[in-house]
Amino acid sequence: MRIGVFVCHCGSNIEGTVDTAAVARAALGFPEVALATDAMYTCSEPGQDAIVQAIREKGLSGIVVASCSPRMHENTFRRAVERAGLNRYMFEMANIREHVSWIGKDREANTNKATELVRMAVEKLRRNTPLFSNKFDVTKRVLVIGGGVAGIQAALDCAEGGKEVVLVERESSIGGKMAKLDKTFPTVDCSSCILGPKMVDVAQHPNIKLLACTELKSVGGYVGNFQVELRKKATYVDWTKCTGCGQCMEKCPSKKSEDRFNERIGVTTAINIPFPQAIPKKAVIDPASCRHFLKGKCGVCAKVCPTGAIDYEMKEEVLTEQVGAIIAATGYDVFDISKIGEYGAGRYPDVITSLQYERLLSASGPTGGHIKRPSDGAEPKTIVFVQCVGSRDKSLGRPYCSGFCCMYTAKQAILTRDHIPDSQVFVFYMDIRAPGKLYDEFTRRAMEEYGARYIRGRVAMVYPQGSKYIVRGADTLLGTNVEIEADLVVLAAGAEAAAGAPALAEKLRISYDPYGFFVESHPKLRPVETNTAGVYLAGSCQGPKDIPSSVAQGSAAAAKVLALFSKDKLESDPQISRVDIKRCVGCGKCILTCPYGAIKKIDFRGEPKAEVVATVCQGCGICTSTCPQGAAQLAHFTDDQILAEVNALCRF
Amino acid sequence: MTGAKFLSKEKLLDWLAELGQTRRVFMPVEEGGKIVFRPCTNGDTPALVRDASASPKGVVFPSSAELFRYTKTKARGGKSSMELKPGTEFEPALIFGTRPCGARGFTIFDRVYTGGKFNDPYYRAARENTLIVTLACEGPENTCFCNWVGSGPDDPTGSDVLATPVEGGFVLESVSERGEALLESPLLQPAEARTAEADSVKSRARAELPPARDISAAPQSIRALFDNQKFWDEVSSKCLSCGACTYLCPTCYCFTITDEDHGDSGKRLRSWDNCMSYQFSLEASGHNPRPTKAHRLRNRVGHKFSYYPQLHEGLLACCGCGRCIRSCPVSMDIREIVLDAIDRVQAKNCEVVHE
Amino acid sequence: MSVLTGKELRIVGFLCNWCSYGGADTAGVGRFVQPTDLRIIRVPCSGRIDPLFIVKALLNGADGVLVSGCHPRDCHYSQGNFYARRRLEVLKHFLPVLGIDPARFEYTWVSASEAQRWQKVVSSFTERIHKLGPASRLENTALPDGLEKRFAAIASGELPSDGKAATRLEELKDRIHEFLPDLDIVIGWQRGFDALHNTPLFMRSAEDLEKLVWGPLNIHNTATYLPSLRGKKVGVVVKGCDSRSVVELLQEKLVDRENIVVFGMPCSGIVDLSKIDRALRERGTGIGRVQAAECGEKGVTIKAGGQEYRFAMEEVAADKCFHCEYPNAVLADHLIGNASPSSSNGKISRQLAAFDAMSLQERMAYWRSQMDRCIRCHACRNACPLCVCKDHCIAQSRDPHWISQEDTITEKLMFQVVHAVHTAGRCTECGECERACPMDIPILAMKRQMNRAIRELFEYKAGTDPEAVPPLLAFQAEEKNIHEGVL
Repeated sequence: MRIGVFVCHCGSNIEGTVDTAAVARAALGFPEVALATDAMYTCSEPGQDAIVQAIREKGLSGIVVASCSPRMHENTFRRAVERAGLNRYMFEMANIREHVSWIGKDREANTNKATELVRMAVEKLRRNTPLFSNKFDVTKRVLVIGGGVAGIQAALDCAEGGKEVVLVERESSIGGKMAKLDKTFPTVDCSSCILGPKMVDVAQHPNIKLLACTELKSVGGYVGNFQVELRKKATYVDWTKCTGCGQCMEKCPSKKSEDRFNERIGVTTAINIPFPQAIPKKAVIDPASCRHFLKGKCGVCAKVCPTGAIDYEMKEEVLTEQVGAIIAATGYDVFDISKIGEYGAGRYPDVITSLQYERLLSASGPTGGHIKRPSDGAEPKTIVFVQCVGSRDKSLGRPYCSGFCCMYTAKQAILTRDHIPDSQVFVFYMDIRAPGKLYDEFTRRAMEEYGARYIRGRVAMVYPQGSKYIVRGADTLLGTNVEIEADLVVLAAGAEAAAGAPALAEKLRISYDPYGFFVESHPKLRPVETNTAGVYLAGSCQGPKDIPSSVAQGSAAAAKVLALFSKDKLESDPQISRVDIKRCVGCGKCILTCPYGAIKKIDFRGEPKAEVVATVCQGCGICTSTCPQGAAQLAHFTDDQILAEVNALCRF
Repeated sequence: MTGAKFLSKEKLLDWLAELGQTRRVFMPVEEGGKIVFRPCTNGDTPALVRDASASPKGVVFPSSAELFRYTKTKARGGKSSMELKPGTEFEPALIFGTRPCGARGFTIFDRVYTGGKFNDPYYRAARENTLIVTLACEGPENTCFCNWVGSGPDDPTGSDVLATPVEGGFVLESVSERGEALLESPLLQPAEARTAEADSVKSRARAELPPARDISAAPQSIRALFDNQKFWDEVSSKCLSCGACTYLCPTCYCFTITDEDHGDSGKRLRSWDNCMSYQFSLEASGHNPRPTKAHRLRNRVGHKFSYYPQLHEGLLACCGCGRCIRSCPVSMDIREIVLDAIDRVQAKNCEVVHE
Repeated sequence: MSVLTGKELRIVGFLCNWCSYGGADTAGVGRFVQPTDLRIIRVPCSGRIDPLFIVKALLNGADGVLVSGCHPRDCHYSQGNFYARRRLEVLKHFLPVLGIDPARFEYTWVSASEAQRWQKVVSSFTERIHKLGPASRLENTALPDGLEKRFAAIASGELPSDGKAATRLEELKDRIHEFLPDLDIVIGWQRGFDALHNTPLFMRSAEDLEKLVWGPLNIHNTATYLPSLRGKKVGVVVKGCDSRSVVELLQEKLVDRENIVVFGMPCSGIVDLSKIDRALRERGTGIGRVQAAECGEKGVTIKAGGQEYRFAMEEVAADKCFHCEYPNAVLADHLIGNASPSSSNGKISRQLAAFDAMSLQERMAYWRSQMDRCIRCHACRNACPLCVCKDHCIAQSRDPHWISQEDTITEKLMFQVVHAVHTAGRCTECGECERACPMDIPILAMKRQMNRAIRELFEYKAGTDPEAVPPLLAFQAEEKNIHEGVL
């Protein structure tokens, strides 16, 4: 092997604390190194060209680049190496920036460490072999999980792109959080007027298969060929017959069912269509409150249903779908405000969340768009908004900013003054965060045009006094304590990861952060991709987002899927495990431990042996560390390659 | 020829120390209940009451010997060259306290490595620079069968000096020219008075050995059974295919050669190999002509009692020390296999005659 | 080129690509200052990290090894870190038996977003290794005087079995006779080349059956032969300990239940021939001179060199018999005779107690002195009923090249670690490895230590339940007895 070593200055990023020329000089003494040089920016066009040229002119057969993290530029350099005619796996990187130059200033130690990392890379490279991808078919169907605005956008864009979409929604209607909103900032246009048509498009699009009341059960397979199992919950109404006429709701005698769509601000019937614009507009029976299920007799809905759609015997179903890509758009949950005892939510009926308030504002909400106090139905005159409830609070484990609360609070302040012109509106805030197009102007309008009184400071406690509530807080600008007698307190509850998000992430084999939000591939450059090929993110499941960002991500994820589906065949990652049939004793330990079921038992001349199913193997290498005789070897991370690295470090 | 000398027990360590001035002296010492050959150091006493667990062959033919080291060096301009350095030169040695069987083992080696067309310089250098002072046996162990292979408790074959234990010391007789010089030490006394005693020790030991079985038919019998897979399957049933027998055997001389690389340098090693191992005959293609332990045991027994004697004037490649029996984890008995083979063939011949 | 003398120590890191390597990157991007000692090897998943890489590093010059992977439940490959956690925790418990301070090895979880946590992990681990200082090297250790005496002072305890050897030989023969026609082979024992040495017997006919013997000289584990006889109908006579190997082989599907017939014999202990040899040597003779031997209720009576010697079973019984939990077959198609009483007293073996009493330094020195006489015959491995790789063992393989042909003590010890790690959670402590060793190297100690770890961590005993899954081939999302994450 003839190895070329390129040590990158990365401008002064590396050169500042590593003597790259010295590293290159030392590298020249390493086994099979035929050329070693330092370069200003190896990843730049001239830098890559230098590698290509060196391979061609010096007949190099392997390349080591010592620069940034392979997670950053491994693919860049692999392509460069490939351009020069080498196999892309005849390349190794030594990470001398993130792991060396950026974490310490001791030039001597850094230079020494960088040199050793290069030696390690050279020793590993000496044991590399060319690897070749296989091609496999792509199932050009996409699964979108979650029918909020992000999911809707992703589904529509994919469908418009000519691909089949399976859209699953846990609730009985799509629409998500946006469907619950009255108006949207900063334009104050009607939420259901802009979302409604999109929801109808979903229902009518020939490429979209909408499955409501459905959850993901399991995911198998890999990019291009996922097998997903979906659990369709029992609705007790045959949706093929239900026309959404609503007669059942009118006659249902059980009216104490939890109204989830209205954020539990009221109650509803046991058989229910959540809201007039619901898509699909189909009824669902809540067995927790239905008399038929609780007492064994009633059957009113069955009697009144003109199409005979009621089916009390309905059972949960498991459906299987084949898809090539998955978009997770599972949104967020609202922070549980009852966790903050001082504010009394849960104990005091008139301390509510902003989303509940949104339902009070909505014409299709429980109060028909009239703002009424939940406790006595009176119109509140003094309304206090408290921001950052469950956001930016380390003590609650929610140190992050939910991003959109400042904006919707401003919107709600404006709407309040519109609804009740003689009302007084107070907003307690920590900082105003309004960095979007027309956003800051909007908050200004709330203050200046609509006279909302913004008080900078936190609320210490809320307690009832007569029919009112005393909101005690601090005004940190004036340095005084403030007490406001309020009729209604609206808490701007922050966003948190949807319940069950970690469990879903585990099924999808994607990462999630300590709060439960899904982690993207790269925070800047790959915002909608995940570390699992073929799984993409859209909307607030990745972190709190407002509507424009969610829609943008929905489209971005769809673009990624369409790009993926533009190929008829995909190339498999050749960094997978292989079993040396001569060494295999057929003990089956690898089969037992493979998380993917990617190893099967075969019969080879009457002997049991293990064989890796190349398309299913994901390259984790558990089999390699399990196989006692070293018969299963993960390509590019073989025992010999890792041992070479260990020896390069320990035995010099 | 110098007459026999007497070495008193008290002077033994002094004598070894004196020999140690010009060469490395190895002697059997006890370690963890086993007896192994170790360089003689101050304070150690040799373990001489019974034969060593390990054979003395390791002194001359180490379990892993560095033949040479290599370093690839790069000159300016990308040209590289290989620099070779010979392995450590064999320093003169002396083995004290092996039993006659252990010393005889070297003669089996000699014919292979120095006797014929091929001359192994590493072995030759070591063998020529190693003197052997053998201790005659006073009585046999259950596993001893040196008399079956033409040897005996006082067999001097392969030795330079034969030491016979007598009351209060040893009677030393030189049995080679090289041995002569060893007896010139002022620490030794003339032994005329003790030679009779030594002779009686030897004859008593010979008498104590159970009579030898006649295995002269072994080479033909084993050859005749070469294709009798059933026979070899049966006799190898309990074999574990480990290498205890071969590695402890004073006559097993097979080796393997490997390069142990490290970066740009490395060493070429010659290490003991073991025909009971699957790898011994494994070919690069993955084919193995001796795929089962039956094939491999056939080779071991056949080599010692048939193939080697056929090449070397009937000399068996076995010294009868019994280490393979004594140390076998499942107490395989090579004597039994050889006798079984002879019986099997004889019985068959009888059948033929009867027919 | 090596570590900067006086400044750095050799610390090797194994990081999974998806979480911890990313975390280290993020820490770099954030300019979180860290000590320079650590050298990171990138692997796809913590599940890829063979514990043997860590031992290889520690035996070959590393002063510390740090492993970091994704947080449990957050593995990119869903389960890799769950397997890793078990294997690495077991390794941590195992290292002290080699004389390696377990504090020199740590594993932890760092996600790609936890830059600050990574900084803390690296800093505190590096600080810890600097406090421990450079690791002692196997080649440089010297054995202190008097170790043997300290060993001898540790009593082996009593042999609680009633000493009544279950002489049910005739019943056993009758039973085998009954089934022999349907079987290709029945494995038992017969007298070997002398009165003390029995040897495995492969019975194919009624004639062979006459050679069958029973008693404390039946020291070999008959189960060892079963995997190589796969496909044949095999009967096997077992002691309690042998039966555990049968269970383990069944569990790992290395033998087929329908093809084996197990004859269980109640056992009241077997002898340790090395102990007999030692005892005879102390009396001026040796095991090689034995003329006759008889095992009876009172122990073993041996005639050697014209003299008669009597040993109580307590003097010559194998160590494993002093705390035998299963003197009767755990699994048998035919149980012969009355069950033997168990001698389990909850105590650890004498050998393990001896190790516990040594300092780490002494343990390393001890191995150095013991492994020196290893001849690499691999009898330990080939006698092991669970070493089913045998012909393909990595000890002799060039690819992968785990162990070189250099006969250094490090390489020899490395092989013993390979054996212990590969049988972790599978080993039934039948003791064949140590018994088979022609050099009497006390290698069972490593397996005993490993089994202690397995028992403590997973409340598991190998070879008792054919349906169980060996603990290192399984995991729990929440591990009851593993409390990782000290960094």
